Amino acid sequence: MRPTLSLVRREFAAYFTGPAGYVAAFGFLVLTGLLFNLALGLLTEKGPSGVEYPMQVMLGGADTPALAQVAGVLFWGLFPAVTGMLTMRLLAEERGTGSIELLLTAPIRDWQVVAAKFLACFGFYLVLWLPTLVYVPVLADLHAEWRLVVTPFAITAAAGVVLLVLGLHAVVLGAPGWLAFLLLLLGGAAAGVGGYLHATKDAEHFLTLTAGIDPAPVWTSYLGVVLAGAMFLSLGLFVSSLVKSQLVAWMAALLLGLVFVLPALLRFVFDPGTVGYDAVYFVSVPEHFRRTFTRGQLDTRPLVLYVSVTLFFLFLTVRSLEARRR
Amino acid sequence: MIVVERLTKYYGEYPAVRDVSFQVDKGQVVGFLGPNGAGKSTTMRILAGFLTATSGRATIDGRDVFWDPIGARRRIGYMPENCPVYPDMRVDEYLWFRGGLKGLGRRDRYSRRDYVVERCWLSDVRRQLIGTLSKGYRQRVGLADALLADPPVLILDEPTAGLDPAQIRETRKLMRELGKQHTMLLSTHILSEVEAACDSVIVVYQGKVVEDGSLSAVRQRHKGKSLEDIFVGLTKQERV
Repeated sequence: MRPTLSLVRREFAAYFTGPAGYVAAFGFLVLTGLLFNLALGLLTEKGPSGVEYPMQVMLGGADTPALAQVAGVLFWGLFPAVTGMLTMRLLAEERGTGSIELLLTAPIRDWQVVAAKFLACFGFYLVLWLPTLVYVPVLADLHAEWRLVVTPFAITAAAGVVLLVLGLHAVVLGAPGWLAFLLLLLGGAAAGVGGYLHATKDAEHFLTLTAGIDPAPVWTSYLGVVLAGAMFLSLGLFVSSLVKSQLVAWMAALLLGLVFVLPALLRFVFDPGTVGYDAVYFVSVPEHFRRTFTRGQLDTRPLVLYVSVTLFFLFLTVRSLEARRR
Repeated sequence: MIVVERLTKYYGEYPAVRDVSFQVDKGQVVGFLGPNGAGKSTTMRILAGFLTATSGRATIDGRDVFWDPIGARRRIGYMPENCPVYPDMRVDEYLWFRGGLKGLGRRDRYSRRDYVVERCWLSDVRRQLIGTLSKGYRQRVGLADALLADPPVLILDEPTAGLDPAQIRETRKLMRELGKQHTMLLSTHILSEVEAACDSVIVVYQGKVVEDGSLSAVRQRHKGKSLEDIFVGLTKQERV
């Protein structure tokens, strides 16, 4: 366990010391920002033209206006490029510089190496999505309402939050570990229990959140994006274990990733309901998002596809590492 | 401590190591000699668990390197040729990371790191990025890493290659000190180094062991010739 955690930490930190992580984050944020801008424009449109599913525009599934379609194609076309940029370094660089020899002669198993590298790039991938949470209040039209309510549960919850903040300060300021731990533990418990009881038992709440637009598409979209990303990352990790050059790893990851993206373009060729469309739907990630996740549905078929492809390619990566020992 | 029995390694059709057997007893410092391409690095890589042998077996402290790779690797400090360490980490960070990778606890990691930094004369570059270090310093980082978990066996592949004379002298001194606590197998091309630091030698040529024994026994067998003459004679390079 300890070797794996050490490797995860080193690989995750390496994203912040090299350029590739920043380049990927820049491209990703520009694209999502553009899509958010489009969604915002449609949401504030006057008259009959507007948007029914803002998350659909956000994830590049809208057909009108034309610009949204272009941005959508751009987003999904570059999505495997972004994930490929995160994975290209992981094993190809080690093989290129020979440092893999030191890694594989440490007392750590091959599957632990693969798991650690995957967790690190997956973690950075989640960091890429973190800033987009800022858009969520707009996309779901959230309204928060504050009111002063004095009940025992509310006071407990508020005190818990204060303790949590103090605990975080203790961590940042480098107070003794046991003090920070105690503060965080007490604060977490009080905030959790108090908050739960306050939300369920009290008649009036000090914070009411109301969503003007159905919030389900937001969380189904995020779930879909997390799992689809894991699939693209595992493809990239596998490719990275095969080659010595990062550039080749990136390009091959991009091409392999497009296998799950480009079939979506065939939806203009086939009519929905035909066998051809069903076959295309099966492997086209943008279509999964356009039709189900961004409309607040959870279709288990794509989810099963993402998880099983991820596990399959992680397995292949372990095998490929093993084969390098021959 | 290190037992190698009939080890054979093919790269495709090419036999890099052919039927090699030898033994290194506890506390011994053994020089592993041979011309370029004789199979030294391949043998060491198999011992360290980086490659698997085509046939034959090798054990470290009773642990088979193929069947119990983790147990065997825990007992080895391995330093590969050219020392490919991560250039984007600081020396301290790197040793901290490697300590975790080798399963050392928090407290051990602090104390062992301080110890190896002291031991390998790295104190003045602790906060420096490894990529900015000179080759000699990088080599020492690799050596510090090998020593990190205090393994009973050290396997060092050309630890003095590419160093300047002063650094070679320092490294040799360090080897001698380390030889008192660890069983060591080190490959080198510098024969004077073997005479200065090793108890016995193993000479390989074209993937086979051609000489194996303590320094004095080897000299006796060859009627008191110098190590250089013995080496050249064994590897059939007189004409060169």
